[in-house]
Amino acid sequence: MTVDLKKYPTIAAYAEKTAEPAWFTELRTKSLEKAASLALPSFEKIRYQRWPIQLKQPLERKNSSKELIEEIKPEQTENMVVQLGQDTLELKVSNELRSQGVIVCDWHTALQEHSDLVKKYFMQKAVKINEDLLTAQHVAHLTSGLFIYIPKNVVLKKALTSYFVQDATAKNDYVHHVIIVAGENSEFSYLENLKTVGEQATTANIIVEVIAQENSHVKFASVDRLGAKTTTYLNRRGYLEKNAKIDWSMGMMNDGNIVGDFDSDLVGAGSHSEVKIVAISTGKQIQGIDTRVTNIGKHTIGHILQHGVILSRSSLVFNGIGHILKGAKGADAQQESRVLMLSNKAKGDANPILLIDDNDVTAGHAASIGRVNQEQLYYLMSRGLPKKMAERLVIIGFLGPVLAAIPSKLIREQLKITIERKLIDGQKDE
Amino acid sequence: MSTLEVKDLHVSIDGKNILKGVNLKMQTGEIHAIMGPNGTGKSTLSEAIMGHPAYKVTKGEVLLNGENILELPVDERARAGLFLAMQYPAEIPGVTNAEFIRGAINARLPEDKPLSVRNFLKRLDKTMGVLDMTDEMADRYLNEGFSGGEKKRNEILQLMMIKPKFAILDEIDSGLDIDALKVVSRGVNQMRGPEFGSLIITHYQRLLNYIVPDVVHVMMGGRIVKQGGPELAKRLEDEGYAGLRDELGLDIKLVDEEA
Repeated sequence: MTVDLKKYPTIAAYAEKTAEPAWFTELRTKSLEKAASLALPSFEKIRYQRWPIQLKQPLERKNSSKELIEEIKPEQTENMVVQLGQDTLELKVSNELRSQGVIVCDWHTALQEHSDLVKKYFMQKAVKINEDLLTAQHVAHLTSGLFIYIPKNVVLKKALTSYFVQDATAKNDYVHHVIIVAGENSEFSYLENLKTVGEQATTANIIVEVIAQENSHVKFASVDRLGAKTTTYLNRRGYLEKNAKIDWSMGMMNDGNIVGDFDSDLVGAGSHSEVKIVAISTGKQIQGIDTRVTNIGKHTIGHILQHGVILSRSSLVFNGIGHILKGAKGADAQQESRVLMLSNKAKGDANPILLIDDNDVTAGHAASIGRVNQEQLYYLMSRGLPKKMAERLVIIGFLGPVLAAIPSKLIREQLKITIERKLIDGQKDE
Repeated sequence: MSTLEVKDLHVSIDGKNILKGVNLKMQTGEIHAIMGPNGTGKSTLSEAIMGHPAYKVTKGEVLLNGENILELPVDERARAGLFLAMQYPAEIPGVTNAEFIRGAINARLPEDKPLSVRNFLKRLDKTMGVLDMTDEMADRYLNEGFSGGEKKRNEILQLMMIKPKFAILDEIDSGLDIDALKVVSRGVNQMRGPEFGSLIITHYQRLLNYIVPDVVHVMMGGRIVKQGGPELAKRLEDEGYAGLRDELGLDIKLVDEEA
């Protein structure tokens, strides 16, 4: 079926300007047509439907002022990518990676040079185009991203670090897609930094797909610091084949309203997903985090550990969904969600959901919502620590079990610094 | 020289009056002991001086060098020179002992002139030696999983590192065996000097064999009813509190007294 591009002049113009492959342009128009009949996804206890989360701006290639990156000062590492808005400012990959056939390229390049690979994996296995209104809009409006392909048997010791900087100096939607394909027996570590420059009210729609093939191991870490006026739909999903493993370590340190939809589909037997999330909400923001692990294959393991802290008048919701499908014999689904509230006006929820359709499985959950322990604060203050510092120590202590479980020391340290900064900023509103 | 003065202090907790007019005056260079039967308000006095939010002062003053500190938040009282070695110190997971103690010391120094890590570790190492504490105690999370004895030592470690003007030791001897008691006493005795004063709260005279006080106060029914020298403590050990009460003609029911 060919689509009449005349009906979609903006998409046609964009396609021509960026010379994207016809199949991709066709996906856009089909998604747009499909979107009309799709609804927003619903997440337990997260009411975001009235937020300006839908993408409404016409598809357009825009450049960002390169000076803006000065505000961010990305740390130089051996393998790194820096993107600002739709532009890629830096992409550095060691010879070691190149010589082993690893592909790391921005979205435009991926569509130009690796069209077949992109076509094979883009929203085919992990996220599906027609899942809901947000995924369909994503495809229609997608303008930037990163494609990473690790061939089979390639083991990379050094991590790849990406900086994705949303340009909110103008009212542009930020629509970004990352695909990581880890081939059989490969190992790969990745650290993603999401940030915002600019103060305009904007919408972000970000999807990350990790396809972990047989016996591969992916360590995915992220430090998310999107701006106060950015409304975000952030979907990260893993598709795990036989004996594959993904370690997710995520720091939700955004300042704006966000829905985080973090899923792992344990498709292959023996696959394993470990999800660690720390989150801090401050000011008046709402962060809704819906973490799901679905055990499909036999002997699959899905563990969720998420701790969050709520300051001022902000909200934080943790949903933990452990879904064991029929036939997933020997599967294990465990989860722990804990929320600590620092003010009377904070709102929080920790919501465990276990859906079990097979008998021969193990599953467990723990959830709690609590306030700062006054005896701890008193004790710390009685040694002369000012109240806010004492609170920060109690919070770091509360997040400690998650931080301690994050495999990389570098990520742990980086998260600690980010947490400290977010808390100091957040305490200014108290 | 610094002074600490408690004047006509009335304190209630959950609406119940515990302290009914406590008067006490001490200065650096002195060690005072407060003895008294259970439930008489000794811990209430220490918590009220430090500023625990659950203890409401309904009347009276606590003066540090002549300034009333009751309006100050807990941390400011601490930085002004007060220290309370607690009976039940809180456990703080995720924060190491060393990190915490260094933070407490630096909270007293100008922000741009913190104690260097090197000097801090040197001092910490030496002080832990005095208290027979193993190195790993520095890296463990603050009080988490500490035994009763380890917690008490850790309180004294903080005391020695922070060097307050006045330290209140709230039943630092409870739950300690004789060896631990000697170690803890050694730490406190090492602090003795013209710049340090301590108020030691205890049930038993035994601790006062190791830390010999200059003044002993006896507290009953929310008031200090008698003062004396170290010999007063010995007398109480021999005769019990009931004897003193009857001698003073007080109408107070002792908590542990049989009906």
